[in-house]
Amino acid sequence: MRLPTPTGARVVGVDDRFVVDLERYQGPLDLLLHLIRSQDIDIFDIPIADITAQFVAAIKGVEQRMTLERAGEFLEMAATLVRIKAQMLLPRRDDLLEDEDPRTELVRRLLEYELFREVAYTLSTAEAERARHRGKGYVPPRPPPKVTELPLDLTLDEFLGVALELPQPLAKRPHRAPVRPVTVDEKIDLWLNSLKRKTRVPFDWFVQRWKTRVHAVMSFLACLELAKRGKAVLRQERHFGTLWVYPSEDDESN
Amino acid sequence: MKTTRVIEAVLFASEAPLTAGEIARASGDLSSKDVEEAINQLRLEYESEERSFQIYPLGDGYQILTRPEYAPYLERLDSVTRTSRLSRAALETLAIIAYRQPVSRIEVEELRGVNVAGVLRSLQERGLIDVVGRAEGLGRPLLYGTTRKFLDHFGLQSLEDLPRPEELKITLRAEG
Repeated sequence: MRLPTPTGARVVGVDDRFVVDLERYQGPLDLLLHLIRSQDIDIFDIPIADITAQFVAAIKGVEQRMTLERAGEFLEMAATLVRIKAQMLLPRRDDLLEDEDPRTELVRRLLEYELFREVAYTLSTAEAERARHRGKGYVPPRPPPKVTELPLDLTLDEFLGVALELPQPLAKRPHRAPVRPVTVDEKIDLWLNSLKRKTRVPFDWFVQRWKTRVHAVMSFLACLELAKRGKAVLRQERHFGTLWVYPSEDDESN
Repeated sequence: MKTTRVIEAVLFASEAPLTAGEIARASGDLSSKDVEEAINQLRLEYESEERSFQIYPLGDGYQILTRPEYAPYLERLDSVTRTSRLSRAALETLAIIAYRQPVSRIEVEELRGVNVAGVLRSLQERGLIDVVGRAEGLGRPLLYGTTRKFLDHFGLQSLEDLPRPEELKITLRAEG
């Protein structure tokens, strides 16, 4: 793929000289170059007063039309132009030979910018040419999807239609205290029976046979009651370890 | 097996450019020079047989791509949309970075006369530029340079393919 040799800068229309759509320009340098090139002005001898007037007219109201930062870029250039214009008006001192033309720096910047603007144009052509060559499994980068703002124009019927779809809140049910299926006394009897025949019983073992919470609670209360009465001893090696229930040694002697 | 066919197979299967060195490694005991010779042979073959594709040099590698005249047909497929083109701001910024690299954000901004922070970020996200170092001096600003993907995106073999400043100077004459 060969890059095309640049064939001169694009000529921009002259008619829209004073009605400038700033969005079309990359920045103050781009606009200034447009004003100079479109009027066939010798860039090495810019009529600074005319160009300043045109530039200022073109950016009139810029601060209302774009962000402060972008506007600032244009306003800064306007200030530079006015400063150069003022310097040009001052009488030159002939004894100072090294006295530089105040436009020199601006011209250097413009030419440099124009060079890169031209390279950008060359790159654009190269990009288009490259895009016409497709590799295998070519999946081009897609532009980000446009965010479409949906207008909020919902009718009452539509709203109710959705609202009625929602599940009804659960009806309040009266609270009922559960009837105790077992008493502490019953559990005490069970424990005493077991402890008569065994040297120790794991608490879990006694609970697992009835899977409901009520049984576990009653069983535990029964253990505490037996320990209080001195009929059983509770031992646990460590936190959350097995709780062992031993028959009381005093009780054994009886 | 013929060397040219082996290299053809390697290039055919690849979705990205491969360097002569990479192709040589895949093909066994070939040198990069053998690979380049075989590629030239294949190119002539595709040319004379009027194939719809060709082997193109991209960056420091090679890739089989369809010939440009078939692009309109490929674009009719839903799965192959037009490439999103870079904006003028992005192109100008890339142009400056390509010629002046390694270059800092401030230098690019001075040349373009506008803020380029956002453009730099999106170019970096697209992999066309990357941070290549830090400058000496105050604040040690980041320095940017172009990537291999930059060369691929513009179909360049190297930065040498960019127009030389002498070539560009002709445009500095007043517009006619």
